[in-house]
Amino acid sequence: MPIYLDHSATTPIDDRVFEAMLPYLRDKFGNASSVHQLGQDARAAVDKARRQVAALINARANEIVFTSGGTEANNLALTGICQAAQGHGRHIITSAIEHPSVRGVVDHLEKQGWSITRLPVYENGIVRVDDVRGALRDDTILVSVMMANNEIGTIQPVAEIGALVRAERARGRKHLWFHTDAVQAAGRISIDVEVIGCDLLSLSAHKIYAPKGTGTLFVRRGVRLFPQQIGGHQERERRAGTESVANIVAFGTAAELAESEMTQRSEHTMHLRNRFELNVQQQIPDIIFNGDREMRLPHVSNISFRYIEGEGLLIHLDMQGVAVSTGSACSSGTLEPSPVIKALGRNEELARGAIRFSFGKDNTDDEVDYAVDALSSAVSALRKISPLASATQSAEFGVT
Amino acid sequence: MSYSDSFKDHLTNPRNGGELADANASAAETNPVCGDRLSLSLRLANGRIEAARFLAYGCPPTLVCGSVLAEIIEGISIDEAMKLTRTQIAEAARGLSSRKQHAAALAIETLRSALARHPSANCQNR
Repeated sequence: MPIYLDHSATTPIDDRVFEAMLPYLRDKFGNASSVHQLGQDARAAVDKARRQVAALINARANEIVFTSGGTEANNLALTGICQAAQGHGRHIITSAIEHPSVRGVVDHLEKQGWSITRLPVYENGIVRVDDVRGALRDDTILVSVMMANNEIGTIQPVAEIGALVRAERARGRKHLWFHTDAVQAAGRISIDVEVIGCDLLSLSAHKIYAPKGTGTLFVRRGVRLFPQQIGGHQERERRAGTESVANIVAFGTAAELAESEMTQRSEHTMHLRNRFELNVQQQIPDIIFNGDREMRLPHVSNISFRYIEGEGLLIHLDMQGVAVSTGSACSSGTLEPSPVIKALGRNEELARGAIRFSFGKDNTDDEVDYAVDALSSAVSALRKISPLASATQSAEFGVT
Repeated sequence: MSYSDSFKDHLTNPRNGGELADANASAAETNPVCGDRLSLSLRLANGRIEAARFLAYGCPPTLVCGSVLAEIIEGISIDEAMKLTRTQIAEAARGLSSRKQHAAALAIETLRSALARHPSANCQNR
């Protein structure tokens, strides 16, 4: 098994979660909409999971809409609200570092004539509440700012934004809503929809040690949004389709575990992350940490390695049994450096040389130490053939 | 992105990486679209490439094509080198997808620039 340091991409399934879902893949296979006993058993399991997921974010069970994942939850939130509220305005405020499942929807809406304000995040990777306030217009109907970023882990001031939106609503702006994508935050920091004051909040199961294929959109009671999948009464008419019972049971179990074990998981991953960063800093020169060092998720480290490009480094590490990820992509000769790192004001070289390391509850000190050694040798090897390193450093790379 | 074992081997064990201190032909080219860079230093003598070294910055295909190129051309005649095509580089890189052919093109462009700049090379761009 490789040393897996890519927990922001996905997490392995917890054994307890796996055991909980197994019966619903075999004997308890009923459709939760069926009237017979098998169906009612499935319904009870879904209802229990709904309470468990609701408890993770301090919501009511009937405010939980199960979806196929975080992407669908974000699509449902943005498109659903915009379709329902477009008679009151067509302006959306969002940030420059949203996940593609928000960014893509916003881009699509823009092509349909919506007006979009994309807030900057500055060098620390954090949105400023004053910028949100300044961007509000009479026709603004939605503010969508993620709770924590997927590449650099920076935690956004969502409670302050929520308070701002609520205050505006209290002043008479009744059709202004606040959505936050909490997919990366879930299980890593506390999420309380009452503290945040959001109207919509997205979650994904596979980021908290459950299988891929399930997510949730929290929809606060009284918020009207148009369903994006129709043709069934499931999820209180908000998301048609037979519930994926086993996956939902897994999500519920994972949510309960995430809540009960959050403190120890956060402390453990923060210890690993800090140990990693300290060792990297000592062993590898010419690096830059991306994002605020304090206001960030406990398990994420994002580092730009000067003179080299991230994908080559990723493959080097993969060959040494260490799995990480990069936010940049090169295809058809067109480079797409990470928009998140670019939004920090980094140049192309630093955006291309950024790697995300994300630690999990089952990683160990030994794994971290091995990863640092592997990283150090990989960076050194790539810099030896880099013309950027050669141009700025001594002639030690010269070969005769 | 799935890469072949040979491709990964070139990436992690690049052939002829570095710069020649006694090079008498060299070139550095940049892909204007993606910013990938490749530089080549050559020692030419008696119509042959006696030694070749490369430096590369960019996506893995660019690094691998630099390694493949430097390995192939060391020891061959200048005439043979001038006849090399990007298809040959792409094939030697094993696993270069159709979307990554620009890396092989950059390698060939850099080779031809280096050879064209050497006064005794007596070669033509083709």
